[in-house]
Amino acid sequence: MPLPSKLQEIVDDFAGMAREEKVETLIAYSESLPPLPEWLKGEREKMEPVPECMTPVFLFAEKNPDGGLTFHFDIPPQSPTVRGLAAILASGLDGCKPEEILTVPPDFFTPMKLEEAITHQRINGFMGVLAHMKHAATQSIGS
Amino acid sequence: MKYAHPESLVDTDWVSAHTNDPKVRIVESDEDPLLYRIGHIPGAAQVDWFSTLQHPLRRDFVTKEQFEQLCSQLGIANDTTVVFYGDKSNWFACYALWLFEYYGHKNVKIMNGGRAKWEAEGRPLVKDVPAYPVTQYRAQAADKSIRAFRTDVFTQVEAKKPLVDVRSPKEYTGELLHMPNYPQEGATRGGHIPGAVSIPWSQAVNEADSTFKSAEELSALYQGKGITPEGEIIAYCRIGERSSLTWFVLKYLLGYPTVKNYDGSWTEWGNLVDAPIEK
Repeated sequence: MPLPSKLQEIVDDFAGMAREEKVETLIAYSESLPPLPEWLKGEREKMEPVPECMTPVFLFAEKNPDGGLTFHFDIPPQSPTVRGLAAILASGLDGCKPEEILTVPPDFFTPMKLEEAITHQRINGFMGVLAHMKHAATQSIGS
Repeated sequence: MKYAHPESLVDTDWVSAHTNDPKVRIVESDEDPLLYRIGHIPGAAQVDWFSTLQHPLRRDFVTKEQFEQLCSQLGIANDTTVVFYGDKSNWFACYALWLFEYYGHKNVKIMNGGRAKWEAEGRPLVKDVPAYPVTQYRAQAADKSIRAFRTDVFTQVEAKKPLVDVRSPKEYTGELLHMPNYPQEGATRGGHIPGAVSIPWSQAVNEADSTFKSAEELSALYQGKGITPEGEIIAYCRIGERSSLTWFVLKYLLGYPTVKNYDGSWTEWGNLVDAPIEK
């Protein structure tokens, strides 16, 4: 099963980058993560926590009229690495249907060679974010 | 009551006045190394606990030669005063300071309050990575008197000498194998080293601004738990970063003469076959 096309593009981009470029791109992603929309501010109990991360991470899957999902993240600016990783997933899977999100294999990022730029623990956090996005996607199917 | 070695701590004003001092190198050491890239104290260099301070293959620190190369490239000479600061209440700043001392660097200091305090005070952060003239740094042989290995810990347990477990209370009791909100990092058993007293690192730091507590408060905290200056003390946590902070407090702020950091910590002890554990 192919990856959603936007996510595949990001994976291919990273695969071709040298270490320094990976770091810079991750920072750019971290800075591009949109702020939490007003209607989700202070509403953490509605959001899904991601305890695998080294930092407090909360996410929310918003269902669009066409059934696709848009993910919102609440991650402090003091944690640029996790913000960058979450932004990759948020933009790579933006607008995807829940069923498509569920097909993303947990090791989809292997070709990105992220270990050149970040520590193994953070890669665990990345997998945690994806797992919780899938959980939110599953819940949205029934809603 | 004053800190035993008040010169080992500088405040943000002091750092602000020394960003251009050629005798001083400000060094950022974070848990999240990308923080340096999105903005750091003007003139500050960076070390990263994982990619620049750890050995690329073995679970160990860089070798003496690699450490010399690192310092030379950062423009640190043997007589440079190195001031560390970082995120997370200076965990990894203390970790870097401890490693610099391990390889014999004499003039090391911590910026009290770390990155959070600097930012909260609205002080400038810049993205330019400075380049300093390369030096010919010469390190000393590793000073094993400040580092505990597992054999030292076995001896410590048998001799019933003091061990300080600085992890969170639930890690100490074995309910959790890792910090709350942190990934499980591969300890197969939970609990603590027999005889260790629980004094979480965070009790040494003011929550409001990440600065260290006063000498009176620190003295009462550790003495109250039986951790006294005469003891030969070993501190540990999960990978040795939080216990570096406790090591710094005991050694420099309270002036305890014999303190070691066990950097193998729980990720080693909690996996060691035949190692005694208490719950």
